[in-house]
Amino acid sequence: MKNENLVEGVLEIRVDENSPLFDRAGMLHKEFPSDFRQIRYFTLLIVQSAPPEIKEINLLEQQISEVIKNAVKHGNRSNPEKKVMVWYEFSPEHAHLIVEDEGQGFKDLEKWNAFNRNRQSCLDKQDYESLSEYVSFRSATSDDNDGGNALFAALEYWDGGFIFNQKRNSVAMLKRFPKRRHGA
Amino acid sequence: MELKIRKSGENYIIDVNGEMDLYNSYRLKELVMKMLEKKVERFIVNLEQVDYIDSSGIGALIYICSTIKKMNLRLVITNIHGSVKKVIELTKLMGYFPITPTIEDALAKLEE
Repeated sequence: MKNENLVEGVLEIRVDENSPLFDRAGMLHKEFPSDFRQIRYFTLLIVQSAPPEIKEINLLEQQISEVIKNAVKHGNRSNPEKKVMVWYEFSPEHAHLIVEDEGQGFKDLEKWNAFNRNRQSCLDKQDYESLSEYVSFRSATSDDNDGGNALFAALEYWDGGFIFNQKRNSVAMLKRFPKRRHGA
Repeated sequence: MELKIRKSGENYIIDVNGEMDLYNSYRLKELVMKMLEKKVERFIVNLEQVDYIDSSGIGALIYICSTIKKMNLRLVITNIHGSVKKVIELTKLMGYFPITPTIEDALAKLEE
């Protein structure tokens, strides 16, 4: 299956309000205040509904936690009055989530894609000297505790798509898990 | 997350124990900066007891790696496994970090 984010051989964050990934039908829903201290706790409340067939649950938890962190910190600027809304659905074959905040939207999306393109070109050339300029993406809301690398991994991990809405304050993502064979 | 330091010859091994996440990863950066002030020149970061890392943890590793490199000192990261390895692979930094499979390999690499 094709990766929705693959553009001319490089993964890009896309904006597509009409992506089927924004179809919330049948999904579970939770809302949280933008409390930075509770990001991993909120994530666990969501991940606990994932079926035991999903292996690498640590990795799934980590990837969801990164998106919630971005919503709390960069979207809502940790304002406890602002909420993060999460829609989610898990099966042994997939994880589908929509994470929405009440912020201004991801303004630096194009800048991020350009940055990632440069990064990928360093990786392709195995030019680790130049890569050191592209290991961490900084925005106006970044601080020393931000790794600036979460979205690089997110685009790789969410192989069924990682798509923003028009306002860019909502991101929908899909991970496909390989089907397991039963019996001998 | 717990950080313990032990010494092997001139090499300082930092044993990280627990989760390297958005709440505590800065402590590894602080520890390495303190060790640099005390003129430590050879570092091994042992991730054997780490089963969870996030982008802040990766960010801390990038920070200490680039700081130590700029000072022309030596660092090896070792015992990367499980989901920690997966996250570094997803971030495509396996080739960027100086990595060895075991502490013995790390010690040998620092002797090069």
